[in-house]
Amino acid sequence: MTSEVILCPVCGGKVIFQAADTVSRCSYCGSPVLGKSQDRNCVHHPDTLAKAVCNICGDLICELDMQKRVGNYGGKLFTVVNCTKRECVRESEWARPVNPEYERLTNMDWADKIDNSILRITGMGALLMVIFELFFFLSMLYIQFLTPWGLSDNIPYWFIRGDQVIVLSIVGNFISAMLLQTGLQVYIHERQLGAGLMLFVILVIEVVVLVFRGLQFNLLNFPNGMYLLFLLGAFVFASFLVFVGALLAIRIGWKKRKQLERAMAELGLSK
Amino acid sequence: MDTIFDRPRALRFIGLTQMLFGLLGLIAGIGLLLAMETGVADPDATPPYVLLIFVGVAIPCLVIGNYVDDLRRRAVIAQILYSFTAVILTALFLGVYGIDYHWTFPWYETTFDVFIGNLAAAILVIQLLFGLYLIVKWSDVVPPPGVTIERDRTRARLIERGELPSPLSTHLLAADGKTELPQEEGQRLLQVRKLVTEEGMAILCSNCGGATPLTKVDDDNTLRCDYCGVRLAVSSVFVPCEHHPEYLAATSCAVCGDHFCRMCLTAQEPPVDERWEGSTVFLCQKCFEGRFKPAVTTSSLVLPIENLFGVAGGRFSKLGQLYGKFLRAYGGIMKHVVRFSLRMASSMGRSGRGGRGGDNAASFFILMIIIIIAIPIAVGFILLVAGIVIIPLLFYVGLVGVAIEAVRIIRRTDFISLQEAREKGIKLAKPVEKKESVLRETTRSWEGPSLAGASRKSAFESRRDYFGS
Repeated sequence: MTSEVILCPVCGGKVIFQAADTVSRCSYCGSPVLGKSQDRNCVHHPDTLAKAVCNICGDLICELDMQKRVGNYGGKLFTVVNCTKRECVRESEWARPVNPEYERLTNMDWADKIDNSILRITGMGALLMVIFELFFFLSMLYIQFLTPWGLSDNIPYWFIRGDQVIVLSIVGNFISAMLLQTGLQVYIHERQLGAGLMLFVILVIEVVVLVFRGLQFNLLNFPNGMYLLFLLGAFVFASFLVFVGALLAIRIGWKKRKQLERAMAELGLSK
Repeated sequence: MDTIFDRPRALRFIGLTQMLFGLLGLIAGIGLLLAMETGVADPDATPPYVLLIFVGVAIPCLVIGNYVDDLRRRAVIAQILYSFTAVILTALFLGVYGIDYHWTFPWYETTFDVFIGNLAAAILVIQLLFGLYLIVKWSDVVPPPGVTIERDRTRARLIERGELPSPLSTHLLAADGKTELPQEEGQRLLQVRKLVTEEGMAILCSNCGGATPLTKVDDDNTLRCDYCGVRLAVSSVFVPCEHHPEYLAATSCAVCGDHFCRMCLTAQEPPVDERWEGSTVFLCQKCFEGRFKPAVTTSSLVLPIENLFGVAGGRFSKLGQLYGKFLRAYGGIMKHVVRFSLRMASSMGRSGRGGRGGDNAASFFILMIIIIIAIPIAVGFILLVAGIVIIPLLFYVGLVGVAIEAVRIIRRTDFISLQEAREKGIKLAKPVEKKESVLRETTRSWEGPSLAGASRKSAFESRRDYFGS
């Protein structure tokens, strides 16, 4: 006869019950599971169903005995729960207690929908800008080295033919990468306002650099007008998306900042 | 599970030597083609030789050598066959032509000889040794059937250090909780199971995902799944999921601490910390995205700006480091070379007065110095020219990678719930990969040297032993 295997309700791993009357942990993920003969109620309030497990002693506890803390695990913030026993509190002091009222006042779920839109608008705009820059780089190399127009010194250079194209294109690619990076930061509550403002600054730099490059490379005299039109169209569209996204990010980010300030003022907290 | 680091050194040597043979074959084939183009080699007789070198040496040696180096069973078999075929052919060749057989090639005003017979003898000895070694050490060089080899070096390193226990199988289990169901049976079960129940809050099965009412929990705090029949432990969390109140929460999110069911959780690798007992942490979607708190995620949206440039410029800096090393070494050697040549020059002047022998010695040393200087200059020049082309190219490729990663993030395809991961694993018959974002540091980015202490390592080892047993 084979012994019965009991699976962890979270990960499906094998659960080894080390003691039948206390919380056991899954062999794989470490999730707490009830012992086989364990009471499901809080150890301090026998009539109340338990809601958590103390991360120190492993007791089942209800909300009345629960302390929620946020602790730094090597730079990452994790939430842990401990009971009110003195030794458990002492052992958990590396984590700071959570202020539930502050959590409630700073809840930003209201912005979920608009934040999703902002991320997509700025992200798409910045992504288009990166693609535009990559295309611009390749097309300029082609024009410089493989067309009679480029080979007849219409594009200036410093030392060897094409050096300006390569250096200025790399600069453009860097700026577009910064734009993309900043464009993705608008999704994070704390960085939204700053990212929105930063997007404006980088967008202005990007426009200036692009115009400078166009003039420097003498593209106004390039024989194929469609190429120039295509470049300008793509650039204007991408810039428009980034611009709109940045405006929205500033607006929503400002509201969130005010919400945080209000919460702190209401609870008498200092920054 | 074994890792690529369990490979014997001799096997690596065989793999690399075989690849070197392949590379030499490739160079020889290209050389013959060039010789034919320039009229040195006979255009009628050369193509069969070129074909023979490519098909018989270059391609098989490169392919087999590469896979032997990867610790693959079939590659070792192929290597043995190849070695003995080579032994037979070279033995025949030596029998027919003898060991003194050689080719003479014209080289400007002179000629040079390729001692084919000697080469064949060397190949015979080497391949014989390779073949015999692989047969004698069969059990060491071939992973047993059914053993998975982790070839990804990052993951293999974690496994070797005992920080990454073997992942759970994605196959559905039979009612005994041990036997894996065949794929068809698993799929059938997934098709018939129901995710809802009319009898109050339900618990979602971690095997098949079916919902069984909590009213069916036995007195021993376990529950038999209504659909696949496995016996489930019951979580200590008796609260509903934040998003699905009809289901019991499986556990709490490690970051926000709220309670979620299996459908709302994603599994991540754990932090390296003695305070963390499990081999996994679970996060809800919001914390996975890291919108408010810096979560432990594999592809969170929190992208440190320096990492973007790190990715795009990472390869650039690696090349830069190589250049730096080369230039430092070059400078170090040149210092001695210049000093040496100056001494030689001064001694040459003195010895020149005495007789003719000193001039010959000086000429020899000057020739040596030229060789010593000429080689690094040539290598440096090649590196410089290659750098001018390769660095912008790598930078460009890095940016394309960044753009692709950004698309993934904007589409939010990174989050895969436990439920999805399991179902995909069963439907596709392979576990869903937990891909690390190229834009972010690894999940163990915080692991500093201080954490790699002996006591900590022994804790990992003990955990590994525990899981291994």
